Amino acid sequence: MKAGALELGHASKVTATVPQKGVNRGMSILDLFLRIIVIIATLGSAIAMGTTNETLPFFTQFIRFRAKYSDLPTFTFFVVANAIVSAYLVLSLGMSIFHIMRSRAQASRIALIFFDAAMMALLTAGASASAAIVYLAHKGNTKANWFPICQQYDSFCHRTSGSLVGSFIGIIIFILLVLFSAVALSRR
Amino acid sequence: MEKSESTKIDVVETNKERKGKAPLLGKAPVVAAAVVHAKGGGAKRGIAIFDLILRIAAFASALGAAVAMATTEETLPFFTQFFQFEASYDDLPTFTFFVVAMAIVVAYLVLSVPFSIVCIVRPHAVVPRLLLIIFDTVIIALTTGAAGSSAAIVYLAHNGNQDANWLAICQQFGDFCQRVSGAVVAAFVTVVILIFLVVLSASALRRHH
Repeated sequence: MKAGALELGHASKVTATVPQKGVNRGMSILDLFLRIIVIIATLGSAIAMGTTNETLPFFTQFIRFRAKYSDLPTFTFFVVANAIVSAYLVLSLGMSIFHIMRSRAQASRIALIFFDAAMMALLTAGASASAAIVYLAHKGNTKANWFPICQQYDSFCHRTSGSLVGSFIGIIIFILLVLFSAVALSRR
Repeated sequence: MEKSESTKIDVVETNKERKGKAPLLGKAPVVAAAVVHAKGGGAKRGIAIFDLILRIAAFASALGAAVAMATTEETLPFFTQFFQFEASYDDLPTFTFFVVAMAIVVAYLVLSVPFSIVCIVRPHAVVPRLLLIIFDTVIIALTTGAAGSSAAIVYLAHNGNQDANWLAICQQFGDFCQRVSGAVVAAFVTVVILIFLVVLSASALRRHH
């Protein structure tokens, strides 16, 4: 009877730790999956913005009307920021896999949270700056005498507006990534 | 009767001996765990106090940014027959978004001070720290969004853009430009402090074992 009671006690302990470990591992796998999604999103944004090149069908004797992303420094910053965040995420995939295998790692999780937060800030800065310029290109500003260029460069405008979507999706997923890392830290 | 008394005493003594021995054996790991718990508590309390100080600094910076942007109003000393040249923050919708977003950030930082105090009083509480981390991250995104978009407009106002035929308005509205640039810088300082706050909360979340 005593041996049976001991066995029961041991079994209940094992079943208590397995779901906690299982939840931690599940969160780490979800973390890896989300990271891959953000890589695709930011890479897509960088490529969509970087391949903008619209030439209007008319031209004067002196100049040719052409719009590229490099004409606006803010869009250049956007492409660079998305590229940097993509590269960082590819490098952090290895760290994420390490966390799946070792659920107990703490110092590396804190480092990952720091870099995730910093990269999220960089991504948000690029996305919001480009959003401001796209808004200006659509609406213009009568007080500053800034003409809405979207009325002429239609395809350029569509491309740049669409490339913002991937960046904003990446920002939301980054917030989730920080949350998962913090919850995994607190559960040990 | 004597026999029963002696047996009673014997039983009592052996019980006491057993009680005296077993806790001694079991107490040592319990005491060690309690010491580690207390040491962890001391470090976490220090982190929580630093967190509160940084939060107040972030609040001051965000408030400065919001006020600096909201009180911009410059009227140029010359005017034509039809209108007067003036610039204020609500002329550009991006700056309006900046003021609103920084106001939200200031309100959040004020509301998060009680949570920070709870973390100081109870260093081992997990839920307040977790809440602070997640809301701080969302507020980082909001602040960086406001600061980044206004930085793009300020850059445009300073340099203009030849290809889009946008004039650099800073050449006329100098004071307005300085005010607005200062507000953007203060917002970015707030972002840096907030990132540091998130890392602090994360390092206080870990379990000492």
